[in-house]
Amino acid sequence: MSETRELPVVTEALWARVLRTAGVPLLSVALAMAIGSIIIVATGHDPILAFGALFRGAFGGPMQIGWTIMRATPLMFTGLAVAFGFRANLFNIGAEGQLVLGSFAAAWFGLLLGGLPSIASIPLILVGSALFGAAWALIPALLKAKVGAHEVITTMMFSWIALYLTSWLVSGPLMDKGGIPQTSMLPASVWLVTLDKIIPGLPPVSAHIGFLLALALAALVWWILKSTTLGYQIRAVGFNPTAAENGGISIARTTVWALCISGALAGLAGASEVLGVQHRMFDQVSAGSGFGFTGIAVALLAKKNPIAVIFAALLFGALSAGAGTMQLEADVPQKIITIIQALIIFFVGAETIITWLIKRRQKLALEKKGAADVV
Amino acid sequence: MWSSFFTPDLFASAIRMATPLALAAIGGTICERSGVVNIALEGIMLVGAFFGVVVTLAAQASTVAGIAGNAVWFGVVAAVLAGIALSGIHAFASVTLRMDQVVSGTAINILALGLTGFLMEVIYGHPGATDSVAHKLGPVFSFPSGSTGILGTIWTWVDQIVFSYTPIVYVAIIVAVFAQWAMYRTRWGLRLRALGEHPRAADTVGVRVLASRYSAVLISGALGGLAGANLTLEQVGSFSENMTSGRGFIALAANIFGRWTPVGSYLASLLFGFAEAIEIRMQSFQNVIQIPVQFFLMLPYVLVVIVLAGFMGRAVGPAAVGKPYEKE
Repeated sequence: MSETRELPVVTEALWARVLRTAGVPLLSVALAMAIGSIIIVATGHDPILAFGALFRGAFGGPMQIGWTIMRATPLMFTGLAVAFGFRANLFNIGAEGQLVLGSFAAAWFGLLLGGLPSIASIPLILVGSALFGAAWALIPALLKAKVGAHEVITTMMFSWIALYLTSWLVSGPLMDKGGIPQTSMLPASVWLVTLDKIIPGLPPVSAHIGFLLALALAALVWWILKSTTLGYQIRAVGFNPTAAENGGISIARTTVWALCISGALAGLAGASEVLGVQHRMFDQVSAGSGFGFTGIAVALLAKKNPIAVIFAALLFGALSAGAGTMQLEADVPQKIITIIQALIIFFVGAETIITWLIKRRQKLALEKKGAADVV
Repeated sequence: MWSSFFTPDLFASAIRMATPLALAAIGGTICERSGVVNIALEGIMLVGAFFGVVVTLAAQASTVAGIAGNAVWFGVVAAVLAGIALSGIHAFASVTLRMDQVVSGTAINILALGLTGFLMEVIYGHPGATDSVAHKLGPVFSFPSGSTGILGTIWTWVDQIVFSYTPIVYVAIIVAVFAQWAMYRTRWGLRLRALGEHPRAADTVGVRVLASRYSAVLISGALGGLAGANLTLEQVGSFSENMTSGRGFIALAANIFGRWTPVGSYLASLLFGFAEAIEIRMQSFQNVIQIPVQFFLMLPYVLVVIVLAGFMGRAVGPAAVGKPYEKE
């Protein structure tokens, strides 16, 4: 009986594995785009014109590709943050709040450390932002570890608290002269320079070296998860907490580390935006960056894999970079991108349809095989 | 100063602010009791709030007197239907497809943000906020103000705290009591609770697990939609993007604090509603107290964290909540 069970599993697994690693995410994106097109048609616009404009806005030239990378950079950080949490079975839905705290730290330390040479000030600011992001995740992490308060509710509450707290900071203690709720412009010595400044021959682009930092972090996170004790513990707790605990791993300790590292990564997203793009911090209460939420979509599309996060973030970065051109040329509101994002999460998450189909096929194959044996 | 702080209207305001939280929290209670986590309440409320306003604005522009005159009621019905429709997606994803319920809920929250923002620009041509509806839902009762003196004061308190509300505020109280009765005194309630504790056992004695979970999720959608209608058609009068601002998540905390019971959810919502009422009242005292407005605004969120921190250890939810059920 056991041999007959092996056979169909092996033959099915090849195409199933191909489908599972790259097929499902790609299919999900295609399906989400298709439904997006239907919505665009239903509201009286031309989807071909719209997606054409979106594509040109994202990849039409060096400047546009620069936008895409610029928009993808914070999403790589938040995507890594959410993916890291997922690995320990933690849903850091409040990455936005940790990002906002990271932004604030970057603006504050940036104003303080402007006199230092860049080589000293920028690393210090980045560490500060990561620590502020981690600190903002610490209380939800402790509450999860000690009393079991669900991190979805607590990190969400901390997100709102962060927005109001920093709103006060940039409209009170740290407000620029002029009455607009924002900090002063940071000194140029702490800016993350654009890529054309360090790569000779590149035309001026808005993408900055935060992108390279995000690439390096993706590799670092991959290495932490794969090759360190902490990474092993996080994966064990995420995979089967009871077994992990029986194996001597402290769930509470692992939870706190995982959520705080996730918060640190989200905090760096804020630093990257403030040092690389805005060069000051604005009041975020009314708008919010949205990078925290999109980070969830990135992490899910990447199937929690840190290296795949890079590509998922580039996709969402391209959608976000092209959205403006799409609205301008095809008159389709940019918010369609948010709808497509939600649809992608659905289709990736509903992978169960595909695994269910595979199981069904295996079952049918088994039954056929069994019937043949009996005959 | 304190006599002008603790006015009857402060307490009435607490009950008004508690209403959307309570409706969503009771929806969350019913949903979680059936074994399905519904973090989509935030988005469901948002979509209810939006379609309530859209349909009211469309109906009040109608030339048919019966429609224009009752525009806001069409809005309420639309809000509830929108809530049911969105929760239908959650039910399909989490019950039929057995998708991770928190992921499905997140997708719905993002979908609600995108859909309302997108449709606002398509319908009204601009982002931000809609116009105000011509007539919000008014108070159910209106009594003449009492005479002066001690009796007059007592009457003012009673009138403000008992008789000053709009319809959905009363509906929320009725829903809380009725749901409590239904959950503990009817066969439906017994089955619902069994679903969330031990769906396999419920299945073996003939409860249709998947269909019952569907109905629980759809009920929570209707209540979430009604909560949205309360926000726009009774409180604010217009819709602005992301106006629910975390209320769906506060409602989930209220459900936990209320120990997964409808009346408990209502009372917990009352606590958070009171925090909101204090926040609003403090803002008008800002020149006296000299505390930045942002600290009042974060008050409800801080209170939620404190309540969860102090209470969580003793709160145990339904055993099978969040776990998809697979029929053998």
